[in-house]
Amino acid sequence: MSTYNVNVTGEISPYAQRDTVIQAFAKMANIDEQKAEAIFSKGNVTIKKGVDEETAVKFQKALDQIGAVAVIDPPLPGNESPLSFDEPEPITPDSAPEASSPATPQQVEPQTPDPRGYQFNIEGRPDYAFLTVKIPANETLKVEASSMATMDTHLKMKTKLRGGFSRFLSGESIFINEFTAEGGPGEIGIAPGSPGDMTHLYLDNNIVYLQNSAFVASTMGVAIETKWQGLTKGFFSGESLFLIRASGQGDLWFNTYGALIEIDVEEDYVVDTGNIVAFTDGLDYTITKVGGYKSLFFSGEGFVCRFKGKGKVWIQTRGVSAFSWWAHWYRPVEKSNN
Amino acid sequence: MDIELVNRPGNTAAKVVLQPGEICTAESGAMIAMSGNMDITTTTHKKKSGGLMKAIKRMVAGESLFLNHFEPKNGSGEVWLGTTLAGDMEMMELDQDSLIVQGSSFLACEHDIDIDLGWQGFKSVFSGESVFWVNLKGKGKVVVSSFGAIYPVQVDGEYIVDTGHIVAFNETLNFSITKAGSSWFHSMLGGEGLVCKFSGQGTVWCQSHNPISFGQSLTSGLRPRRV
Repeated sequence: MSTYNVNVTGEISPYAQRDTVIQAFAKMANIDEQKAEAIFSKGNVTIKKGVDEETAVKFQKALDQIGAVAVIDPPLPGNESPLSFDEPEPITPDSAPEASSPATPQQVEPQTPDPRGYQFNIEGRPDYAFLTVKIPANETLKVEASSMATMDTHLKMKTKLRGGFSRFLSGESIFINEFTAEGGPGEIGIAPGSPGDMTHLYLDNNIVYLQNSAFVASTMGVAIETKWQGLTKGFFSGESLFLIRASGQGDLWFNTYGALIEIDVEEDYVVDTGNIVAFTDGLDYTITKVGGYKSLFFSGEGFVCRFKGKGKVWIQTRGVSAFSWWAHWYRPVEKSNN
Repeated sequence: MDIELVNRPGNTAAKVVLQPGEICTAESGAMIAMSGNMDITTTTHKKKSGGLMKAIKRMVAGESLFLNHFEPKNGSGEVWLGTTLAGDMEMMELDQDSLIVQGSSFLACEHDIDIDLGWQGFKSVFSGESVFWVNLKGKGKVVVSSFGAIYPVQVDGEYIVDTGHIVAFNETLNFSITKAGSSWFHSMLGGEGLVCKFSGQGTVWCQSHNPISFGQSLTSGLRPRRV
């Protein structure tokens, strides 16, 4: 006996309201509305698989009654069983197909959204990461100013001055914009300023420090503060004076310039100040020089950051300031008159 | 010395794992991270000869002349190396032969390899562009980097490569700096300027993009600097 799959196409009958269909579907399948919404917005999701013809037809009819369009796969060329839905299973994989490159993705985290967090998708990794986040109805997402690329029309943007004056001093952008999905769930596409990789962390009452341009977005449960590094630490590093401190509970996304490498620090690790992206709270850090004084001036490394303790450091394979220095030589020359 | 290239080809980084007693020599500024037990010493091109003054002279000439030597203390260690520009890297093994690498493409090599930064095989004046060349000789591993993709070209006979696109080549090849077209006028007008003509048998590694062309394309968008 051949078996059939029942797929929800994601389409809604023209005679039905999308919201009511999703509500009805959620009730019928005994799942929450958020999940149901995700199924419909994704489309082509198998909701029942490996059933016989009759059951498949029954499902299709039931779905049709609530206004959802369902197809039977393979199309029909028949017993009685109660309507019990399987765990929804997407047909099309969520992540973008990997480009056929000899990239070694082993050091990047799998992009499985945390069940406690928002649904999201990062495309174009590792060279040109682009983030799409689904904001549930009436919830708010914090996004780095000017990095919103696309969004649904019902998302409302509010500019918030976070961290007060110190955010001014941290250079970069002083603003974090807040996007609220008013009335219904909405989608936002976020493109960070520099080409590179991106990663997601779910903070569960832990603290992560980010280099000031690494912040991409976070949920409202994550507190974003700029932290004074201490004059000596920042001054000698020649890089950013400030770190962003992310704490609390919720999703956090951050990006890099160049590829992202995650390093587990066991006791002692040295990172060039321009290549630090983020690090966990348990690490103690000092800004030092490498080698002797000759190395300080001629090694090209200048000051480095020495991490001690146990924790994680994320580094980037390229540095923005190194690139600026490279480009410096291509600036047009203006002859001063005096 | 174990070398692993990660995140190829767009933003490649090299992870070099050193056992006790092994030394890795890298271009200055290439280190992006390393284990805490790593010792760095900075030298000019030759460890013994060549004082600081000589080095400064080179610096004036626009060459990056300092090399960092990484050596782990107590136990093994690791160093991550990266470049400034986006692009790929390639690892090569020398076996008592000689490789000529374009200055900005040289990233790292094993300590046993002899590095001659002052190699003047090309008439630098002639090449117009401020390129310098590194001559590597000996036995061991070498890592070169590129701006954009890197691709090898097997030369058997003659082959022409724009000077800005050369990453490295075997010393078995003969080369001469020449013009791209049949007349100097057309070569300059065509924007190709000077090219390198290789002859003989060997491999030339080329990069897909020319850093100088890219830099020049940025010029109009950058604020002027005063001199």
